[in-house]
Order: sequence, then structure tokens, then C-alpha cells
Amino acid sequence: MSAPLPPAFDQQWIVVTGASSGLGRAIAVELARQGARVALVGRDEERLRATAALLHGAEHRIVVLDLARHEDIVPAMTTLRAEVGPLHGLCHAAGIVETRPLSSNSVEVVRSQLDVNLIAGLELARAVCRRDVIAAEGGSLLFISSVYGRVGMPGQIGYCATKGAIVAAVRAMALELARRGIRANCLSPGLVYTEMTRRSLGKLSAEHVQKIEAAHPLGIGEPEDVARAAAFLLSGAARWITGADLPVDGGFTAQ
Amino acid sequence: MPNMTLQEALTWIAEVFEEPAGRIVRDTKRSEIPGWDSLGTLSLIAALDERFDIQLAEDAIEGLRGVADLLDVLRERGALAEA
Repeated sequence: MSAPLPPAFDQQWIVVTGASSGLGRAIAVELARQGARVALVGRDEERLRATAALLHGAEHRIVVLDLARHEDIVPAMTTLRAEVGPLHGLCHAAGIVETRPLSSNSVEVVRSQLDVNLIAGLELARAVCRRDVIAAEGGSLLFISSVYGRVGMPGQIGYCATKGAIVAAVRAMALELARRGIRANCLSPGLVYTEMTRRSLGKLSAEHVQKIEAAHPLGIGEPEDVARAAAFLLSGAARWITGADLPVDGGFTAQ
Repeated sequence: MPNMTLQEALTWIAEVFEEPAGRIVRDTKRSEIPGWDSLGTLSLIAALDERFDIQLAEDAIEGLRGVADLLDVLRERGALAEA
């Protein structure tokens, strides 16, 4: 019988965006459970503190940051590095979704989603991967995409564009960063009940929601289902995985 | 919240469903507006929220039979001046 596995993270610092709720919160909790120290990034300090209270005493930092203000991202990560030492990873779970058919779409609506879902992710990667920020041995970057980066959905044109774009960007990032021992991956969840998805689905009819639910052969996911997969991709157990996009969707995209 | 006249409201509804201004009148039925399909409903939900801060779910919109019902919603929510 093999010995028990050591913790996946040996007190390594991982930055988690969108940590004030939903998937980001669940991922931060799971990372802490597996031995990581986490930097919780979000706009609302009170809600970040609520996440911190779930970390069972794990060391953490709260970084209040509006990710749409791209110019603030590098200074925030540089400051964090100065406070806690080298960073080992990033999980960009923050995201915005706006249901807009083409006829009611607008430049502003598309841009607001691009700003957070894509551009902030790229800027976070740049900030965390600076040679004076990331650990000398390298690290791991994870971007929470969506099944809608792979398949279409009426009313989600802008959102699909941002989620597909991050998957494409991560493939190039993985190739560029491999020589420095930095891995970059995406994880594409199907429907998981979070505050954000409940708000979005709340605008749809019961029949419409039932159709979406029925499209997941294993049923609707829990945030913890995504969190466990995220922790795996961020950990050394995934040391030979880079440039991948892992569907965690109850079979949604297998059809 | 804007307090529109009836004519302004009809023009706004025409814009939401991409109809020529003037084709939409108080008695226009939903079935007479090609753009008021399931996606049109989503566009209407977004437009009501963005323009008037009115949040209606898809089920509530599904119950509207035409322009007159939609005008009632606008009036009840204070977006349309009383006739």
C-alpha cells in the first residue's frame, strides 16, 4: 500500500481572482485545504473577508482590486510579492456574463466582458510571471473559461467570444512560458449553480432553464467539482499538462 | 427614470424589435412583430433593464400579448406618463 499523498501545495502562494463568491471562492477554499496560501482578489473587501473566514486558518492576503482597471494590476501583484515572497500560481476565476442577443448587443457590453474575462487575465499573467514576482522554479497559471468558449449559445455572443479568446491565448502562453517552467491551462465549466449563474438564469423561463440543465448528462455541477479540478491543474500533479483546456461540465461538450 | 410620452414609448419599442418607426402602434399584437421571438424577448429584458432599470424575468415577458401589455408595464413602473 502506498504512503498517503503529501499536500498538493507546500505553503505556496496562489493568487485567486473572483475570490469573493462562486467558483473563485470555492477554488480558494480548496487550494487552502490542500496546503496553499492564497491571495484573494476582488472588488469587495467585506466579501473577500467572508471567503477568508472559510479558509480554516490558512495564511492568506486580501487584495482589493477592480480588474477592469488594468493599470492597477501590475502594481498590486508587485506589492503582493514584496509582502509575501515569490508567487507560485494564478487562478483567474473572475468573470462577467451579459445575456445579449446580437440585436441588443453594444460595444460597451462586449467591452465590459472583454475587460475582465480576457484582458484582465492577460494582464494578471504578465504581472504574476514577471521574473521578480514568480518563484524561480516556475509556476502554474489557470484561467476559468467556459463551455461557451467551445460551443455556441444564443444570447451569449460577447461572452462566448471572451471565453474562446482566453483558451486561444493560453495555448500561446503555454508555449512561450514552458522554457521558464511555467504552465498555463484553462478549465471550462458547464453549468454550476453560483450567485452569478443564478442571476443570469433568473431572467430565463423555467422551460429554458430546464433545457440547459437537461443538456448536462451528469446533471448540474457544484462549485466544489470545479474547485477540485482547478486545484489539480494548479498543482505539481499536473506537471506535464500545459496549453490544455479541461472541460468540467458533466458531459455537456461530449455530445 | 425617463418618463416617456406614448409616442416616445412606441418609437423605443420599434427600436428594440428593429421595426421601422411608425409601424408599431398601441394595438400591435406580439404575433405581428417578427422580432419578438425568444431572442427578441431576451433583447427586451436587456433593454428594459438598461434604459429603465426595470427587471423582468423571461416568464413575465412571455405573458405579454402585445404592445398594449408592454405599455402597461412601462406605465406601472413609472417609465411612461399616464395617458
